[in-house]
Amino acid sequence: MASVVLKNVVKRFGSTTAVDNLSIEIKDKEFAVLVGSSGCGKSTALRMIAGLETITSGEIYIGDTRVNDMPPRERDVAMVFQNYALYPHMSVRENMGFGLKIRKLSDKEIDERVREAADILGLNELLDRKPKELSGGQRQRVAVGRAIVRKPKVFLFDEPLSNLDAKLRVAMRAEISKLHRRLEATIVYVTHDQVEAMTMADRIFIMSKGVLQQSGAPMEVYSRPVNRFVAGFIGSPAMNFIDATLVRGDGGLIVDAESFKVALPEAFNASLAGYVGRQIVFGVRPEDMALAGNGVSGEQNILTARAEVVELLGSEVFVYLSCGRHSIVARMEVPDRAIEVGDTLQVALKMPKTHVFDKDTSLTIA
Amino acid sequence: MNKKILSNVLFYIAVVLIALVVLFPFLWMLSSSFKTQVDIISWPPKLFFEPTLANYRKVFEEQDFLKYFINSTIVGGFAVALSLLLGLPAAYSIARFAQKKLAVFILLARLMPGISFLMPWYIIFSRLDLMDSYVALVLSHMLIALPIVVWIMSSYFEAIPRELEESAMVDGATRQHAFLAIILPLSGPGIITATTLSFIFSWNNFMFSQVLSMEKTKTLPIAVYNFLSYAEVDWGGVMAAAVAIMAPAIALTMIFQKYVVKGLTMGAVKG
Ligand SMILES: Nc1ncnc2c1ncn2[C@@H]1O[C@H](COP(=O)(O)OP(=O)(O)O)[C@@H](O)[C@H]1O
Ligand SMILES: [Mg+2]
Repeated sequence: MASVVLKNVVKRFGSTTAVDNLSIEIKDKEFAVLVGSSGCGKSTALRMIAGLETITSGEIYIGDTRVNDMPPRERDVAMVFQNYALYPHMSVRENMGFGLKIRKLSDKEIDERVREAADILGLNELLDRKPKELSGGQRQRVAVGRAIVRKPKVFLFDEPLSNLDAKLRVAMRAEISKLHRRLEATIVYVTHDQVEAMTMADRIFIMSKGVLQQSGAPMEVYSRPVNRFVAGFIGSPAMNFIDATLVRGDGGLIVDAESFKVALPEAFNASLAGYVGRQIVFGVRPEDMALAGNGVSGEQNILTARAEVVELLGSEVFVYLSCGRHSIVARMEVPDRAIEVGDTLQVALKMPKTHVFDKDTSLTIA
Repeated sequence: MNKKILSNVLFYIAVVLIALVVLFPFLWMLSSSFKTQVDIISWPPKLFFEPTLANYRKVFEEQDFLKYFINSTIVGGFAVALSLLLGLPAAYSIARFAQKKLAVFILLARLMPGISFLMPWYIIFSRLDLMDSYVALVLSHMLIALPIVVWIMSSYFEAIPRELEESAMVDGATRQHAFLAIILPLSGPGIITATTLSFIFSWNNFMFSQVLSMEKTKTLPIAVYNFLSYAEVDWGGVMAAAVAIMAPAIALTMIFQKYVVKGLTMGAVKG
């Protein structure tokens, strides 16, 4: 096991900069998730760690070793690819043993390790099958198995679950988390799915357009996003962003969005002092909203809106609201009296959990 | 429903007619090779006749066609084998490292008329005392085989996901090892296509052997051609010889039909 450190790593393909000055430090045994939308450079970052892409500039360390110029085979990492990349002409057993055979382990030891991994992943029955005789989920397991038999310093996963159906994905998510605890391995895991990131990571690294936006524990990036991108990326449905003006009211600062006015808690005052009278972006998560009179009290946190679309999910309901020129999504418990399209609702915001962003820089102010 | 049957019937009639036109010379040749001289020149042509193997006997016993047959096989075999040896790695690096210019250069070698190479070859091989040697002939036939191998195989390799060899390389293999252990075993169909096509083109080639060979290494087409010139009247023999030349090409094509069609439709090779 080992740590992984990237220092000011840049990767250019011709004129596109796929990864821009990326500096991250992944601790030994940590489950690190690189997350971001498609094309943001996550795979490129991972492939540079694996040695499959050269580095335009910067440094990469695995453990204490600088690996910039080291070929993939010497880095002692294992990678699980998005398309699994199983060798079609080899059986599951041979696929899993391939890396060990190259490293000249004895047949006995190869057999033992393959068996051990097959036990962990429930692949025992499938060892003599060819990849094409396996289902998507089984292939995915074999790909993971091929990585764990190697007992590498670092595991690299590139969107390993994105080709699975939703149910299997949830199951594999839990299994990979379990595997991480069992192997006590350093894992760098790439995904575009923020739910995967939130549920599996010890630490999340959020990237956009090749640039690292924020890193931190899942709850930290959720509750204290550093900018509007992170705030919108983490959480589902995404945070509502409302253009508004910040004004001073009787008690404190007020967000004036024309069609509604809400008062910010006192704790926001200090950081917002310079923004009074200016345009800001007000952010509130759908899950930080509730029907008024349902536990959230106070008068200065309520907006009146019309329900345009109602999506019932069983235990929860997504309500798409219109409030003046603003469209707002709320995610709430299902109320006793059903919400109908066209209803006018009193919606209370959990003000301490809201955010204020600079309109120009998109950075979080409060 | 009836309309559909009718259009099907018309379609097959058209196909048969076209096939007849295209195949007529071949059928003529095939039937003539089993006819006596009298039957061949009789008018109107005889559809039913007593077949004879005399022509073939003559070709293989008196004219020693077997020797030329073996020459063609040696030249084609070695040219294809060496072309695979050089062409597979070349095609792989073209596919993986986007060597488009190199690919075009190799295609250019293929598109240049072969005759333009003959003069320099003639001089070079004469000086090296390699006229009428297998070495010279195999080298010249590699000009036919190598571009076919490179062109077909580079498209073939491009279609194999890179992740396969990347995975092998992360697993501890060198690129060469990944190529040999992962990519090549998956390339069987492509290699069969390339081998069949390049062997057939080598087999059919007339010009190189005509200039670079004398008696020892003469290939089959030259032998038939020579046969024609001094035995003008022996149509039966000529036809039998022509059938003997075509037979291996046709057999290969039929055996590997699937692969050959694929290779030809890659648009990369042209006879
Ligand atoms: N081999 C390559 N050649 C040119 N551009 C590339 C190459 N690989 C990736 N890119 C570009 O780099 C950017 C990041 O790609 P990638 O790392 O694959 O994104 P992600 O995995 O986050 O979806 C994209 O704009 C992509 O087009
Ligand atoms: Mg990717």
